[in-house]
Amino acid sequence: MTSRLEAKGLVRRFSRLRAVDGITFDLQAGELLTIFGPNGAGKTTLLNILAGVMCPDEGQVLLDGNVVVGSERQWRKEFGLVTHQTMLYDRLTAVENLSFYSKLFNLEDSERRIWDAMEDLEVKEVANQPVGSLSRGFQQRIALARALLHDPKILLLDEPYIGLDLYASRLLRDLINQLKDGERTVVLVTHNFGQGLELADRIAIQVSGQFIFTGSSDGVELTEFEEFYCRKIEELRS
Amino acid sequence: MQEDRGTQVLNYIALVWTVARKDLVLELRTLERLIAMGAFAVLIGVLFQFSIDTSLIRVQTIAPSLIWMTTVFAGILGLGRTYIIENENKALAGVLQSPVALDVIYLGKVVSNFILLLSVVTLILIVFSLFFNLSFPIEIKGWLSLAGVFSLGVLCFVSIMTLLSAVAVNNTMGESIIPVLVFPLLVPVMIHAVTATNRIFANRPFVEIEGNLRMLVAMVLIFLMLGASLFRFAIED
Repeated sequence: MTSRLEAKGLVRRFSRLRAVDGITFDLQAGELLTIFGPNGAGKTTLLNILAGVMCPDEGQVLLDGNVVVGSERQWRKEFGLVTHQTMLYDRLTAVENLSFYSKLFNLEDSERRIWDAMEDLEVKEVANQPVGSLSRGFQQRIALARALLHDPKILLLDEPYIGLDLYASRLLRDLINQLKDGERTVVLVTHNFGQGLELADRIAIQVSGQFIFTGSSDGVELTEFEEFYCRKIEELRS
Repeated sequence: MQEDRGTQVLNYIALVWTVARKDLVLELRTLERLIAMGAFAVLIGVLFQFSIDTSLIRVQTIAPSLIWMTTVFAGILGLGRTYIIENENKALAGVLQSPVALDVIYLGKVVSNFILLLSVVTLILIVFSLFFNLSFPIEIKGWLSLAGVFSLGVLCFVSIMTLLSAVAVNNTMGESIIPVLVFPLLVPVMIHAVTATNRIFANRPFVEIEGNLRMLVAMVLIFLMLGASLFRFAIED
């Protein structure tokens, strides 16, 4: 069975630093992989490579068995990227931001898609307000709407919980949970162990550009995993 | 097949306008760059008015040079900040994540910068005509030539600036690198733009301006093509 998303020996160097160092994994349609790791482990670089924003120095990304070539921009229709930076224009309203992106993606029936996305993410009430005047929770939900507008097969989430209060954080978790529809593959990078584990089908720990652990999230207890994670990091540092 | 090609061209133009329109809407909501460039143009006009001894110098002969220099300095001030708005929330990363070709983004920004700078040039011409008693062309043809020279000259400048401000935004030297890079590239543009403007204000026949206009058209094409193809290296990681 062909994997939905496959990474083969990805390497990305910044001068002498190997930010991503030989990462290989594959995910089926509908799977959610959560990547944990300390700051500077290369998680964001990995997501940028997967999204096609950055080219790997070595290795390949495959989507449904086809090599994704970063310079061929049509591939980008298949990926949605959300980071802790919203990638929205503060002075445009939510509708204007989404309308701008719908035009960039050349979406048909964009008006309906925009309002459907806003309804799904419960941001209709702030549709005509400038994004910069909204709370962090609303901004992040609009950012998620932007990433889902073109209905991508792969959703990449880079620390989406940063700056969110408990309520907004739970709301976002529920929204991500709803996205697990069996079709969409999600890669989530987070420092939030509780929510990361709860959502995950598979988990990975990335340190110094490498996956030092990958496995299923079935039966993994939060406290045990936190201890395991800290022990692994300490082992590597010593 | 022919229709497909036509549709592709229309889609391309629509995408360029989408980027340009977004930039113009953002600018009109704050007027940050327009106010900075406009205020600069007026103040420079006032300074020139007081600093030039009109009993020794016939101002009309140097006015075209002053107009173009004011345009260039105002442009560096305003257009150097083209990508500042894109750094807010890493918005440009979102645009780069879309399937839109990079030259569309570049050309969209060229269009919005062109409209902004052309509106500042209009203000500069009004200010300088008040202070220096410029003799504008009498015939329609002269006005068209004037519009042509300023449109082409500004388009050359804007196509260079849009590329270099992308370089500056990812450079540790920031905006201070722009004048160092832009002035050498502007020399041929200024030679033809100032010469043509001088001749238009002197009401010289069109044949004397035609050559300059042709050169400006050639430079517009060269700078736009260079900008569109080099933009990738300025913006992508």
